[in-house]
Amino acid sequence: MNGLIQSLLEWLRSLFWKEEMELTLVGLQNSGKTTLVNVIASGQFTEDMIPTVGFNMRKVNKGNVTMKLWDIGGQPRFRSMWERYCRGVNAIMQAFFFTSYTLILTFFSFYSFVVDSADHQKLEQARAELWTLLEKPQLSSIPVLVLGNKNDLEQSLTVDELIDAM
Amino acid sequence: MSWKKDEDSDDLSVLLSIDKSTVLQEARIFNETPIRPRQCRLLLAKLMYLLQRGDSLTTTEATGLFFSITKLFQNKDLSLRQMVYLAIKELSEISEDVIMVTSSLMKDMQPKADEMYRGKALRALCKITDPSMLPGIERFIKSAITDKNQAISSSALVSSFHLYGIARDIVRRWSSEVQEVASGKSSTAGFSFFGSSNSSSVSSASSGIIQYHSLGMLYLLKQGDRMSIAKIIQNFSGNTRGGSRIENPFAHVLLIRYAVKVMGTDPSMHDSLYSLLEEWVRYRSEIVSLEAARAIVELETPPVKLITSAVSSLQSSLSSQKAVVRFSAIRTLDALSLKKPESVQPCNMDIESLVSDSCRSVSTLAITTLLKTGNEASVDRLMKLMEGFMSEISDEFRTIVAEAVGNLCIKFPQKHTAFLSFLSGALRNEGGFEFKQSIVNSIFGLVKSVKECRESALAHLCEFIEDCEFSRLSVQILHFLGTEGPATLMPSIYIRHIYNRVVLENAQVRAAAVLSLAKFGASPQADGKLRSSIIVLLRRCLDDHDDEVRDRAVWALKFIEDDSKITRYIRDDSTYILQNFESKLVDYIYDPTNNFIAPVSIASIPKISREQDSVANVYIKSQISLETSTFANSPKIGIDSRAHQAGTVNSHISINDINAVNLLKSIPEFEPYVCYKHVYEKYVVFQFECTNTISESILEEVYVDMLSNDGLDMLLIPYNVIAISELVYNTPSFAYVSYQRADNETIANGSFECILKFKSFECDPSTSEKLDAEDTGFVDEYLLEPIELNEADYMLASFIPEWKSLWNDLGDNSNGENNEIISSFQLPHFTDLKSCVENLVVALGMFANDTSLNPTNKVAHQAVFMGLFEAKIKVIVRARMTFDQNTGVTLELCVRSEDPRVSNIVVSSIA
Repeated sequence: MNGLIQSLLEWLRSLFWKEEMELTLVGLQNSGKTTLVNVIASGQFTEDMIPTVGFNMRKVNKGNVTMKLWDIGGQPRFRSMWERYCRGVNAIMQAFFFTSYTLILTFFSFYSFVVDSADHQKLEQARAELWTLLEKPQLSSIPVLVLGNKNDLEQSLTVDELIDAM
Repeated sequence: MSWKKDEDSDDLSVLLSIDKSTVLQEARIFNETPIRPRQCRLLLAKLMYLLQRGDSLTTTEATGLFFSITKLFQNKDLSLRQMVYLAIKELSEISEDVIMVTSSLMKDMQPKADEMYRGKALRALCKITDPSMLPGIERFIKSAITDKNQAISSSALVSSFHLYGIARDIVRRWSSEVQEVASGKSSTAGFSFFGSSNSSSVSSASSGIIQYHSLGMLYLLKQGDRMSIAKIIQNFSGNTRGGSRIENPFAHVLLIRYAVKVMGTDPSMHDSLYSLLEEWVRYRSEIVSLEAARAIVELETPPVKLITSAVSSLQSSLSSQKAVVRFSAIRTLDALSLKKPESVQPCNMDIESLVSDSCRSVSTLAITTLLKTGNEASVDRLMKLMEGFMSEISDEFRTIVAEAVGNLCIKFPQKHTAFLSFLSGALRNEGGFEFKQSIVNSIFGLVKSVKECRESALAHLCEFIEDCEFSRLSVQILHFLGTEGPATLMPSIYIRHIYNRVVLENAQVRAAAVLSLAKFGASPQADGKLRSSIIVLLRRCLDDHDDEVRDRAVWALKFIEDDSKITRYIRDDSTYILQNFESKLVDYIYDPTNNFIAPVSIASIPKISREQDSVANVYIKSQISLETSTFANSPKIGIDSRAHQAGTVNSHISINDINAVNLLKSIPEFEPYVCYKHVYEKYVVFQFECTNTISESILEEVYVDMLSNDGLDMLLIPYNVIAISELVYNTPSFAYVSYQRADNETIANGSFECILKFKSFECDPSTSEKLDAEDTGFVDEYLLEPIELNEADYMLASFIPEWKSLWNDLGDNSNGENNEIISSFQLPHFTDLKSCVENLVVALGMFANDTSLNPTNKVAHQAVFMGLFEAKIKVIVRARMTFDQNTGVTLELCVRSEDPRVSNIVVSSIA
């Protein structure tokens, strides 16, 4: 009975609040951003060897949420443009608070920082880029998720090591 | 109808109210979630309207907009998607970091994406990409070129056309795909985009547009390679088995242009070109036959038969329903009537009916064509017709009319009153500078050719400068008044007009007016009264606040009272012969002995009067056009004056100093080459221009091995051979072979066997680097056409300004010298006088003027040729020829030169 009411509520909710949220993925080149987006969107792991030139946008529908995934290229020439896309996320967050504040807990908009935990040489660089991004005043209110990717590889760092390094 | 008008005005007010700041403000909606496609689309349309209107965005604004627009990617709304591509294309020039959208656009042009926008995504992608990114997307473009969908294929072709400019080497790699599309092998499922029916004329024009694009692209890729272009044309012309058919009229027009470009310059291909044009001019499609007719008219020496078929095709187009067809037909006829008025005459009836055409452009051209083709009787009627609508047509056409009238003035000088009244009427009407300039030029021409109308023409010009908004024209007219006015019966009437200019106009015109006044005062016809009043006027000019005006007035006052000074400074209009002056300066620079201590002296340069100078200039102009036409027909060589002059002064000339250019012959095969021959006092130099037309190879140690026949060894001693060390694709270089002349008294003539020898290496077409550094190369040789060295090569074709007096001086053998040789020839193989004259020009290598070159009489003709032998000895040849059906041409040559030896050589060049 409880479950039935729950699903009915879910359905009602999806009817009224079909929400869109945006998520920006940044990180150094070859850290696995595009692959991650593909996994989220299609559930399949594909070995995509072409570096992203510019950005990639995917829409993912999960229940009543449409998630826009902005996957920004990680090569040095694109890093200056990360901020632009993160800033856009910020603007949408504010609009969202005003219209449906009851659902704050359910939907979170954030940008995630993907770190290639297997590539020790680039770790320092990744740290520097992450901190430059965090220091931007416009981005101060946006939650950040740091993701340690490729932890299946032998030489990858543990979670604690990664936290220390960052 | 009325409601439509209202809507139009509504639209207009909406459009006018758009401005940049509101659009930039509203651009916030791009960032909204969810996206509202309709609003976004409208805003993008506004943005594009702004850009088209010419509003400019700063880089920051554009970049901001660009990044907002990227938020709209992947929207489901198809129209919005296409709008986004368009906007990106527009912003790509102004915004920074446009390569951001590369990945997204690449996704949109993948085969699995919707056909509706794939092509557009591709176009946008090619617009934002740069050469460094191109290799990454190369394979997508390649596959898009051969895509089944025409729209996509077209987009790919057009994009690669634009990319060719920035990344030539990469685009060149796509030629096999382009070739495939052009031959129509892949476009089986065409038409899907443009509607499938072939019945309506619109779709038949746009269907197969891909052929047009691919042909254009193919030409761009192969343009350096004449042979393959010729092959493409052959392939499409439908004569060869298995050739492709050309379906699209635009592609056909393009094909005609390329055919003329490639085959028109090569005499060996003229016959096949003519037969192709003959076929095309009868083509069903109007645009094709019009283009073919235009191409025929623009040919340098079209055969009469071809012109007749072009004219008859144009004649039928004249009565077309479509104004544009009538327009292009009459325009082509107009161009033809300049060259060959008699061939347009059969159409005169049809053209007359076009005079009252509703389209003003058509009727203007009809009238100007009639003016050129018509006879004296029709002139009055036509002039009246034209006066009627001069005010209704645009300036551009009025200029055409004015020029036509100007030409007519020279043709029918008896009608000068009609022309003058027409021109002066036109001068009084409104019009731009070009138009007024052409009228003024026509009047100048009229005054020069018809002396009777001088005074009335000058009066009209005076009236015109009283209210002339163009200073440049005023200056020209004042100068003209200064030269022509003093010789009239009543010079004083012009002076008031001229002095008015001093009072009223700007400094430029005032200065010209002062000089004009001075000329009146200094003229031999001026009596004391006129001169003294001129002096009064000039004194007033001394207070002018412009330096130039004052200076000229002071200068004029200084000389005006002294007759000897007047003759020296004002009336003397002689000038130096500029060509001689130039060659003297060249000599001066190349002469190593003078060390630039002694100044250049101009005393030795002959002076000629203005009249002679203008005559000489006309001849030089005609000589240039003559050269281009004779070179197209014959493997003919002369000697450039500068090289020759340099050589005569300096016997130790280094080979790289040669400036001479003269075309021998190009063969459109593996190694197209041109040979220039330079003859010096002590040396003969052959300069070979070689071009490598194969991008996959590099040639090294390219040199020409010359073997002389005819016992030339005694006269020419091999001196030096300079090879081209490296010949890369499409970069012409020169190889030289030089001989020393044993003695410069004897003329060496004969032919040389030429073998081109080289080592070839394979290379990477994109970088021109050898594939294998260890490669020792493949030694090869290639037999060139034999090169002839003959008498004419020692002759410098040059106009001698004072030839008439020289002819008489040389013919006068009272001082004991006989410089004249007369000799007669029977030439049965010529069928008319024209071809005989043309052959004479080639054989003699001398200059001839237009009247000599174009026999007016079919039975008898006299031609005069002149030149400088070894650039110093003046030679004049008078050729009298008669033609008889049975015996052919009988030629009598009379050669007079400053040196009897030279006269002999000249005669022997004919024998």
